[in-house]
Amino acid sequence: MTLFPIEKTGAAERDAGDRLSIGGFVRRHPETVTAAMLVAICVAVAILNPDFLQPSSLIDIVRASVVTGLFALGVFVILAAGGIDVSFTAIAALTMYSITLLTTRYAPGLPMILVLVLAVGGGMLLGMFNGLLVYNFAVPAMIVTIGTQYLFRGILLAFVGTVWIMALPEQMLTFGRAPMVQFANSNGAVVTLPLYVLVLPAAAVLTWWILNRTLMGRAIFAMGGSARVAERLGYNLRTVHLFVFGFAGALAGLAGIIHVCSNRLANPFDLVGTEINVIAAVVLGGARITGGTGTVIGTLLGVLLVTVINNVLVMVGIPSTWQRFVVGTFILLAAAFFVVRQRRT
Amino acid sequence: MAEDSEANHCFLQLRQIHKRFGGVHALRGVDLALELGQAYHLLGENGCGKSTVIKVMSGAIAPTEGEIVLNGESFSALTPIQSLAAGIETVYQDLSLIPNLSVAENVALSEQLVHGEGRLARRLDRNQLRVTASTALASVGLPTTRTFLTTAVSDLPLAQRQLVAIARAIATKAKLVIMDEPTTSLTRREVENLIEVVARLRADNIAVLFVTHKLDECYRIGGHAIVFRDGECVAQGPLSSYSKADIAELMTGRKIDAHRYRAGKPAEEKLLAVQGLTAAPNFFDVEFSLRKGEILGITGLADSGRNELALAISGVRPADAGSIAVGGAAARIRHPSDSIRHGIGYVPENRLDEGLFLEKSILDNEIALVVARLANAWGVIDDGKGRDIAAGVARDMRLNTTDIDMPVGSLSGGNQQRVLIGRWLTIEPKILLLHGPTVGVDVGSKDTIYRAIQVLAERGIGLIVISDDLPELLQNCDRILVMNGGRFVADLDASRATEEDIYRAMLASTPETVQ
Repeated sequence: MTLFPIEKTGAAERDAGDRLSIGGFVRRHPETVTAAMLVAICVAVAILNPDFLQPSSLIDIVRASVVTGLFALGVFVILAAGGIDVSFTAIAALTMYSITLLTTRYAPGLPMILVLVLAVGGGMLLGMFNGLLVYNFAVPAMIVTIGTQYLFRGILLAFVGTVWIMALPEQMLTFGRAPMVQFANSNGAVVTLPLYVLVLPAAAVLTWWILNRTLMGRAIFAMGGSARVAERLGYNLRTVHLFVFGFAGALAGLAGIIHVCSNRLANPFDLVGTEINVIAAVVLGGARITGGTGTVIGTLLGVLLVTVINNVLVMVGIPSTWQRFVVGTFILLAAAFFVVRQRRT
Repeated sequence: MAEDSEANHCFLQLRQIHKRFGGVHALRGVDLALELGQAYHLLGENGCGKSTVIKVMSGAIAPTEGEIVLNGESFSALTPIQSLAAGIETVYQDLSLIPNLSVAENVALSEQLVHGEGRLARRLDRNQLRVTASTALASVGLPTTRTFLTTAVSDLPLAQRQLVAIARAIATKAKLVIMDEPTTSLTRREVENLIEVVARLRADNIAVLFVTHKLDECYRIGGHAIVFRDGECVAQGPLSSYSKADIAELMTGRKIDAHRYRAGKPAEEKLLAVQGLTAAPNFFDVEFSLRKGEILGITGLADSGRNELALAISGVRPADAGSIAVGGAAARIRHPSDSIRHGIGYVPENRLDEGLFLEKSILDNEIALVVARLANAWGVIDDGKGRDIAAGVARDMRLNTTDIDMPVGSLSGGNQQRVLIGRWLTIEPKILLLHGPTVGVDVGSKDTIYRAIQVLAERGIGLIVISDDLPELLQNCDRILVMNGGRFVADLDASRATEEDIYRAMLASTPETVQ
C-alpha cells in the first residue's frame, strides 16, 4: 500500500494529541459509541416507563441476547478475518432440527452434553465446508455463504423434515428450564434466569482468549488487515479460513440447540432470516465490515443494543413495526460517526 | 566463478535457476552467490526477472528448474516458512506490514510464527513479543515506549513504517534482508537514515540485497552489483568497478547518457497564474505562473507542501484561499471535474491506486476521460472513433505494443505510466500536472517518458513536473521551484542550476533540519 504523502505528515503529533482527547479515545475504541447509544436508549426507556427496570424485563433481554450473541461472536470472528457469513442461521437450523429429530426418534436417552457436542460438531463441519469453498475456489465469502444458506436450508426442508417437533426429549426440556436464579416478582409471578445464559459469557471469554492470546487470533486479524501480506509472512490462510468458518459454525450449532431448548420447540422454518439482525449487531459493535477490526466487548454491546431495541420499544408505546426503522437509524448514525472521525485523521 | 570453494561460506546460492510462466521464460539459468555481511544491489530494467528471482529466494514461487543451496542444504524450491526460518526476510515495496496490527505485533509476531513452524494453535507470548519488539526497534532507532509499541502501523508516517519493516527483519534474526525499492517514496533525509541502518545491519553480519533503480544511492551504500537483463544475470562484481554508464549499458544493452532533454523554449503567452494560494497548514501564499510550452519543475521534501499544492491545483483537495487563473480568466477549482474543464490534466503519483484500471484494456484506459464525447445521441459509444484516439495516443506515447486491447496490467511500469500520461492527451489539455512521472520506472522507460514530455511541451502544453528525482528535473525543465515549509524558497534556471543548489534550498533552515 502506497499512501498519499499527506498522511505522512504530523501523524506522530496527531497521535500524541489523540491519546489525550476524548475523540482519540473513541477513535481507538469505537465500542464506546455503542455503549453510549445503549445507555442513552436504556435511560430514555427507563424514564418513559420505569417498568423497564423490573428484573423480569432485564432478564427477558438477557435471555433474548443469548442466541443472537452466539451468532454474533461467530460473525465477528469471520468479519475480523475479512470475511462475511450469511449462512450461519441455516447452519443453526439444520443442526438443531436434525439433532432434535435424531434424539427424539432414535436416542431419547442421549445425555444433554452429547446433544450439545453433536450440535457444536455438526455446526463446525458445516462451517468448515464454507471455509473450504471460500479458500479453495477463492470465491467471495458473501457469494459462497449465500449459496450454502440456500443449500443447507434446502437439505433441511427437502430431506430432513418440515414438521414442528413439539415433544422434546426430557433432557432438552430440563436444559432449557434449569434455573440459575429464580424469584417471585412483585406481582407474584415466578421469574427465572435460566442456567443456559451462562453459555454466552463463556463463549465470549473463549472468543476473546483465542483472538487476543493465541497466534491464531493474531493471524485472524492479520488476514483481515491484509490477506496478501499475511500469506507472504507465512500465515497459513487455509487454516485460518477453516478455523474462522468452523468456529462460527460451531457457535451457530450451539445457538441453534439452545434456541430449541428455550423455546421447547424445534421449528425448521425458524432462525433463517435473522442474519441481517446479527450482522447489524456486530457492525454496531464497532467491527468494520471490511475486516481487521472490532472487539468481543463491542460485539456483545452491539447485541445488547439490538436486543434492547427489539424488545423494549413496545414498552414505551412505539409499535414493533418501527423496530427496523430504529435499528436502521442507529446503524447509519454509527457509520456516519466513524466515517467522519476517520476523515479527520 | 569458483563455486565450490565459495559454497563453504556462502549463505545462499542459486544454481542454474529457470522459471517459466506459461510461455514466458522469466529466468534463464541464473547463478548467484550471496555472502553474509555484504551489500548487494540487484539492478535491471522492469521485467528483467528481478522480482521473480526475489520471489524464488523468499519462497513465494517455485523455480521450474535449478537448485537453491541455503546454508549448505540443497532445495529445489523453498516454502515461505522455510525461507523465513533460514533467515531470509523480504521487505517488499509495500513493506508487507499489516495495517491494523500494532507496531509490536508487526515487528515480533513473525518470530513466534516461525518458531512454531507456522502452527497457529499456540499461545501468544506477549512478554516475549514486547521484549523482541523493543530490542529490534531500538536497533533501528525507533522509540520503544508502550505507546509506540501499541500504535497501529496505519497511524505511522511512511518512513517509520519502513523502519518497522526492517525491525521485523532484525527480530526474526534475519541473515539476509532483501529490500525491494526501499527508497522510492522516501525523502533524502529519510534515505540517509536508511543507509545508516543498512550499515548497522552489515556490521551485524547480515547480508542486504537491494532492488533499486537509484544508482546514486547504490554507490553511496557500496557493495556488489548484480545486473539482470532479460532473465539473465549479465554482470556481477564490486560496484566500484562499474561506472554509472557501464551499469546503464549493461541493464539496457544500449548506451544511455544523462544529457539534458530540454531543447525547446517556452512561448510568451501565460497559461496559468496562481496567486496567494493557501491551504493551511500545508502551503501558504503560493504564487507562480506557467507559460505556454513551458516545463516547470516543483520539488521539496515530502512534507514541504508540494504534494498538497498539486492536489489543490488539480481540484482533488481544493485550497482554502487564493486565486488560480487559466489563460487569463479566473478559474474556480473545487473538484477534479473543474480542473478537467479548464484543461488541466493531473497524472497522480501513485498510478496503481489512483489512475489506471489494470484489468481493463489500453483502449478503455485511454478513452476514460472522453467517453461522454464519444457517445452518440443514443448514448452508444462510437467504438471506431475511440480506437482511433487510443491508437493515436499509443503511437504518441511510444507504447511498446500496438495491441490496444491488451490489459494495462500486463504492461511494464514505464508503459503503464505512459498510458496514464497519454490518457490526458485525449482531452487536449492546456496544462498537464505530472506528479512523480518516473517513480518506480526503469532507465529505459524514463528515457521514453522524458522524450514524450518534451514532445508535449513542443505542442504548446504547459507542464508542471513535481518530483523528487533532481536529475530528472534538471534534465527536463525550464525552471525549478523549490518548496520548503509550505512556501517557494527558490526559483532556479534548470539549465544552470545544480543538484547542490536545489538541496540547499530544500533543506534550508526549516525547524526540521536543525539537529
